[in-house]
Formats: sequence, C-alpha cells, structure tokens
Amino acid sequence: MSFPILSLLILTPIIGALTLSLSSSTQLKNKTIFLSGLWITTGEFLLSLLLPIFYDKSKNGYQFIEFHTWFDKFDINYYVGVDGVSIPLILLTTFLVPICLLCSINSIQNRAKEFVIYFLLLESFIIGVFVSIDLVIFYVFFEAVLIPMFLIIGIWGGENRLYATFKFFLYTLAGSVLMLLAIIYIISKVKSGNIELISDFTFDQQIQLVLFLCFFASFAVKVPMFPFHTWLPDAHVQAPTSGSVILAGVLLKLGAYGFIRLSLPFFEYASIYFQPMIFALSCVAIVYTSIVALRQLDMKKMIAYSSVAHMGFVTIGIFTLTQDGINGAYFQMISHGIVSAALFLIVGVLYERHHTRMISDYSGVTNVMPKYSFFFMIFMLSSVGLPGTSGFVGEFLVIMSTISVSVYLTFFTAIGVILGASYMLLLYKNINFGDLKSDIKQLADLTNIEIFYFSCLAFLTMLLGIYPKLLFEMINKSISLSII
Amino acid sequence: MVNLYQFIPEIFILSLILITLCFGLFNKDRAVSLNTLGFILLSILLLNYGKEFYSSTQISLNTINLFVLSKIILSIGSIVFILLLKRPLKNENLYRYEYVLFLLFAILGSFVLISSNNFLTAFIGLELQSLSLYLMAAFNTKNLSSNEAGIKYFSLGALSSGFLLFGISMIYYDTGSFNIQYLDNLTAISEIGLSLVLISLFFKVSAAPFHIWTPDVYEGSPTISTLFFATLPKFASLIFLFRVYQELNISEIKSLNYIFQMVCAISLLVGVYGAITQKVIKRLLAFSSINHIGFMLLGIMSYQFMSEGTLFFYLIIYLITTFGIFAVLLNLRTVDGEFTKISQLNGLRFTSNSKSISMLVFFFSLSGIPPFAGFFAKFFILSASINDGFILLSIIAVLSSVIAAFYYLTIIKNMFFNKSEIELLDDNNKTGKVIFISSGLIITLFFIYPDPLINLVDTLFK
Repeated sequence: MSFPILSLLILTPIIGALTLSLSSSTQLKNKTIFLSGLWITTGEFLLSLLLPIFYDKSKNGYQFIEFHTWFDKFDINYYVGVDGVSIPLILLTTFLVPICLLCSINSIQNRAKEFVIYFLLLESFIIGVFVSIDLVIFYVFFEAVLIPMFLIIGIWGGENRLYATFKFFLYTLAGSVLMLLAIIYIISKVKSGNIELISDFTFDQQIQLVLFLCFFASFAVKVPMFPFHTWLPDAHVQAPTSGSVILAGVLLKLGAYGFIRLSLPFFEYASIYFQPMIFALSCVAIVYTSIVALRQLDMKKMIAYSSVAHMGFVTIGIFTLTQDGINGAYFQMISHGIVSAALFLIVGVLYERHHTRMISDYSGVTNVMPKYSFFFMIFMLSSVGLPGTSGFVGEFLVIMSTISVSVYLTFFTAIGVILGASYMLLLYKNINFGDLKSDIKQLADLTNIEIFYFSCLAFLTMLLGIYPKLLFEMINKSISLSII
Repeated sequence: MVNLYQFIPEIFILSLILITLCFGLFNKDRAVSLNTLGFILLSILLLNYGKEFYSSTQISLNTINLFVLSKIILSIGSIVFILLLKRPLKNENLYRYEYVLFLLFAILGSFVLISSNNFLTAFIGLELQSLSLYLMAAFNTKNLSSNEAGIKYFSLGALSSGFLLFGISMIYYDTGSFNIQYLDNLTAISEIGLSLVLISLFFKVSAAPFHIWTPDVYEGSPTISTLFFATLPKFASLIFLFRVYQELNISEIKSLNYIFQMVCAISLLVGVYGAITQKVIKRLLAFSSINHIGFMLLGIMSYQFMSEGTLFFYLIIYLITTFGIFAVLLNLRTVDGEFTKISQLNGLRFTSNSKSISMLVFFFSLSGIPPFAGFFAKFFILSASINDGFILLSIIAVLSSVIAAFYYLTIIKNMFFNKSEIELLDDNNKTGKVIFISSGLIITLFFIYPDPLINLVDTLFK
C-alpha cells in the first residue's frame, strides 16, 4: 500500500499541536481546546483502526513500509513499518489518549492549551517508537517521549512533583544513554541501523553480553524491573490522573516492547545467558512489590506497585523464550495497559471529588456511588486475573510457560497471583464496603462522560478475556519470528 | 613577490577596521551598520570565491576547505553578533563604536590564527584576538566586576601566552623552524615545547584543568561580551587546536595524546560538577561550555572517522544554541539592571511564550535529548569516537551528559514550573527576538530536514 499511513499517524498529532499552539489562547475556552484535542485524537484512533483492517496476517515481516534516506553517510534512514507486535500497542496508545483528554476536561483548569499540546506530542512520539524499524529513529522517539512527560508531571502534578519528575527523567535518561552507546557500536559494526539487518548479524558472545546489558539498562528502567523501579511510585503518585494513565498504560510497555523487538532477536546468546538473572529479578519484583503494595496507605501508590508486579509477569514471560510465554507476556502487556489505566482513572474519579488519595479516608463508597463500585469491581477482578477478564489469559499463559523452565519459577509467579488478589480485594473492600463516612456522603456518582469511557475500557477487558484469539491472531506470526 | 591574493579576507577586515576608525568618530550608528554590511559582503565573497583565494598556494585541499568554512562561520557569527550588540550596550550606557573595533580586531586575529602555517603568525593572531577580548571584558569601566574580569582575564591570558612563546621557542631550538608541520624525530625538548603550546591552547578554549578564569570572566563581563567569548574566539582557537593536532600528528605521540585524553575527560567531568551548584546563569553557562569543550576535544581526537565533519557539525550547532540562549538573556532585564540569577528566570513561561519555549528547546538540545539538533551533534561525535576506539571516554561523555541534564532541567523547571517572583522587563528587541526564534527553529527542524546543514559541512569537505 503506497498510502503513507504510518507517517500520517505520526504527523497528525504534531500538526494538531502546531495549529493549537498558533491559535491565540485568550480567545479559546478550555472546553474548546479540549474538544479540538479530542477531535484530533479520535481521528487518530480511527486512522489507526485501518492498520489491523489492512494488515495481512499471513505474511512475514513488516508491512506499510516507508523508506526515506535521512543521513546518507551513516546509512540511517527514516524507515518505518509495522508487524503484529506493534499494531496492538499502537491501537492501545491511540485508544488511551482520547480517554486521557476526556478525563482531564474538568480537572485541568489552568494552561489547558499546553496540556493538550503536550499530550498530542506525546502520542506522536510514542507511535513513532512503535513504528520505527531503524535503531536511530527508534532511539530518537524513545527519548523524545521524556520531554512532554517531564512537563506534564512537572506542571500539573501534585505537591512533590519536582522531585518525582526529575527522578523520572534522570533515571530514564541514565538508562538510555548506555543504550545509545550500544546502538552506535552496533551501527558501526553492521554499517546500518536497520533492525532486520541487525537481527541477522551475529555478534561475538562476549560483546553480546555487554551490549545486552546496555539495552537492558534502558529497558529495565522503563519496564520497570525490580532494583530500578523506585521512580515509578513517585511519578505515579505525583502525576495528574491522565499522566498516570498514559504512564501505566503505554510508557511502561515501551521497555517490554524493546525487549521483544530488539533484545531477543539481536542478542540470542546473551538472552539465554541472562535468563536466570531476569527471572530472579522478576520474581523478586513480583513477590516483593506485591507485599509492599499490601501495606500502602495511598491508593495510587498501591496501584503503582501492583504495576511493577504485573510487569514482572511480562518480563518472565518474555524471557521464557517460548511462543506461549511471549504470547502470554504480550497479552499481559495489553491487558495491563487497559486495566491499570482504568484503575488509575478510578482513583482519579475519587480524587477529583474528595481531594485525597488515602485509603483510610474512604469507606462505604458503594452506598453513594453504586455505578462507580460496579466499574471498580470489573477492573479490580481483571487485575486479579479472574477468568473471563483479560487479566486471566496473560497470567495463565505466563505461568503455564514457566513450568517448562523451572517449577520454582512457577511457584513464585503463582504466589504473585495470590498476593495480587489479596491487595486488590483489600483495596476494594476498604473503599467500597463498610460504614459510610459522614464526609463522603455528598459524593456524586459517575457522570455520563465517565460512564462512557469506563464502559469502553470494561468492554475491551471482557472482549479480550472471552475472545483472546482476537489478539493472538495478530501477534502469533510476528512473535514466532522473534523466538530464537 | 608575495601573492596577496590569499590574504583578501584579512585585508578586507583590515580595511573595515580603518573605515570604522574614521567613520565612527562622526556617526557610530552608521559605522556599526556598515560593519554588518561589510561582513555580509565578506560571507558572500568567501562562499563564492573562498577556495580560489588559496588556489595559488601549496596548501592541501582539505585544509583550504577548513579555512574557508571556518571563516564563513566566523563572519556569519559576526553578523549576528553585530546585529545583537546595539541594544544591550545602549542599556548599559556603553554604546561606543570602539566596541565594534575590538570585535573587528578579534575577528582579524581569529582569521590569522586559523590560516597560519607558522607558529609565530599563530602567536600574533592569538594575541591580537586575546588583547581585544581583555578590552571587551573590561568594557564596562564603571562596573567593578567588569574591571576585575578584565584584569583576571588579562593576567592569566598573559601567563598562557608566555607558555605559548616558551613552547614555540623550545620547538624552534630543537628543529630550527617555526613551521607547523610534522616532526619526524621528536626529541624530548620539542615534546615539552609542544605540550606547552597545547596547554596555552587549552587555556584559550577553557578546557579543564586550565579553565579557572572562565566562570569569573563570564560572570563579570558585560553579557554581550560573554556571548562573544563563548562563541567566535573559542571557535577559532578550537579550529587552530584541531589543526595543530592534525598537522603535527599528535595522535601518534604517546605522551601528548595521553595529555589530550586526560584533558578531555577532566573537562567533561569538571564542567558538569562545577555547573550543578551554580546559582548565576552565566557561571552555569561557563561550566556547561567546559563540558561541551570536552565533547569537542573528543571530536578532535576522533577526526579520522568522518574527517572534520563531526567536529564542525557540533561546533555549528553549539554556536547556534549559544547565540540563541544569549539572545534570550540579553532580551531580559530586571528592574535593578542586568539579570543574573537563575531563580530570576522563575515563571518566564507566564511572561513570554516565545522566550520560554526557545529556552526549552536550547537547553534540551544542549543536554542532547532528541529530537533536537544537539542530540545529533553528540550522536555523531560519539559515533566517531566509538569507531576510533575511545570507548572509555565515550562512556564518560554520555554519563556526564546525564548529569548535565540535571542542571539544564533545573533551568527549565524554573521557567515552567515555578511562579515568578521578580518582574522581568521585556526589552522587546526585535532583532534579538528574530535571532532566538530562528535559532530555535533551526535546532528543532533539523530533525525533520537535516540536509542543508549536513550538506554545507559535507560539500566543503569534498
């Protein structure tokens, strides 16, 4: 297909942001700005729906390829294309961004124009990461994501936002620069930045180990894996609701996507060599952060820690290096993208009404907000991994694939599921049941807009839980190619 | 009979100086705008006939390209600088035509320095440049710190010139020639002499550990002079350093190469560690420039990979960014006078859209975050250095740029997240605005359309 759909996907939000920034801010009301942002992002979502429709699932390799020379000298090109691994993540991104804008119409009052502009830029950078098949352009987008996110947390965040946003930025940057060196080294060896060519190239074993660790530094911070996860709770707690949604929903997936797209095919020897280390770190992440989550007083922090635990499943699944494992991990990524985004929205709803995130400040919410409790229950159960919701499929596949590696691994992974159930149920019980506190009696139930986006998210969770083949059809072939 | 053809650019500037000297007595405004015109003419002349000036000489084509490109950059930089200098000087009651004269002498010195093939000529060029700089530093005679800056700069600069002369005489003693050329049988004396030459050049480009003057001079001088120190003379000295490195084949001389690598690593680290705690923006920029000098030295050492392209590209981007930052700073004033502290930038976002967003672009670009041009500049330097095997230095370089990101982010934080405390007066200088907006656009749009800049660097080296 010669229609440049991928470039259009990258450019639409940027052009939207440019038009918005050129319009004079004094004339526009906040609502108009948000509405125009919504139009742009919804259009983007509809545009991205063309990808799965026209994607040919029977073919190998990348499709919708576009190629323009960029820097002749280095053989660095603007080279984009998608395969089964990137399409669902692109859809997830374009799906979540309008929801982020929807949920902030009321909560973001000051500097609304900037807010929408940063979100549009963020969207196009994230899509850029998922479509690039050239290492340099991948890195450019991967890093560029930091800029709007830094500003979003820094401007609209909570009281301790500066600490959180600096930590977020510097942690991620420190990881990424090592990857940059590795990328430069790879390009100097292969003489090309093309991901397909590099996948065919075999590096020396010793060098592979070093290069793998450089990439690992970057992706492990992004995922985040156990010792590098400390930025995440801070960033989540301080970020505005929409920031948390996009952070948990999509940004964390960049790391896992990097593992699947780059680390596995490039460094086959090293992937096997470092398997035990990654399993160990992931197990620690699952068990330790689940226990930490159990003791949190802040709802957002609890869900942030649960994100770390859930992403532990993803890394375990990826590094089992089996089709089932990676399929499961990928499914878990998408599912976590939807569910954790929804949970942060759930927290955001309460915070917007009562301006506190402490669990102890709420009790018996179900008496005043029945619809809210209903949606909360769906997402809570999906996060726990109840069969019939999307959370179940991913966790089940990952746990199943771990048996072929080691039973101990299965044991720790399964413990994670139990712990996950306990903290989520505890959270649900403390907030929704019990005596109705006097100061939350006047809380209003969900508005129509909120019901709209929660039902979209709930529908997706159920759909993927009941008919997972929808996703597997898309990814199966592409994932089987990246297995060693 | 000496062929004067190759001296046309220098003669051109010399005649500009003479005209300005006579003309400036009667009408300083006209004299200044005449210089703008003169430099535009010179840039066009160099762009079109640059290579023919040197065609009768025996200089290799590559070096000719180097001369022409750096002279073009210098004259374009001078145009921008002359356009900028009027308003800030008027604000300080310093608007005199002599300032432009110093600029002209400094540029003449830089031209001579760049194209000299002889250590003595180089010394004359360097001294001509430096003496004008001392005067520019102390130009605000009523201000104590400006005087202090001038004297500090002068005394330390004189010391480094002494080193240079001593080094040159040692080389002369050993080889009997002042020429900048490859020395086959290097003895200890000329090795020491060369290292002294290098030290004085490191001083001029303010590479650590010869950087001590930089923060004080940057802070004390009038901001417009600081802009000049940070850009054009440094550029010229760096090009000369590059030529010395290349012509004398320093990469082959073990001891000197070791010094070079050490200075590079120390500059990278001292730059960032010095900058973290700074409260005054000019001091911060001084230290950050030391860090960038580290990158440039890395580029000099690994020129074999991509010829001079990487270094030039980095320099051009760095010059554009620095001009942009200073154009913003020069456009801002507090009620009490010049604005100095970083905290005074607080809440710039609410005062001025264009300034804060351009500053955001410049500082993200300086810290090497894509998609801004600064990232690509660093990327090319690192590509070259990794290809040439400087792995350890590359690691130090990228880690230093992470630390650097911290203080650049602090500035952005002040502008975007904090509420304003002091009212900043907007100078509303139209030329300044045009300059920082256009440099911001170049830095941003380079990502989408890199060809013009890359081609400019490329074609001149083919």
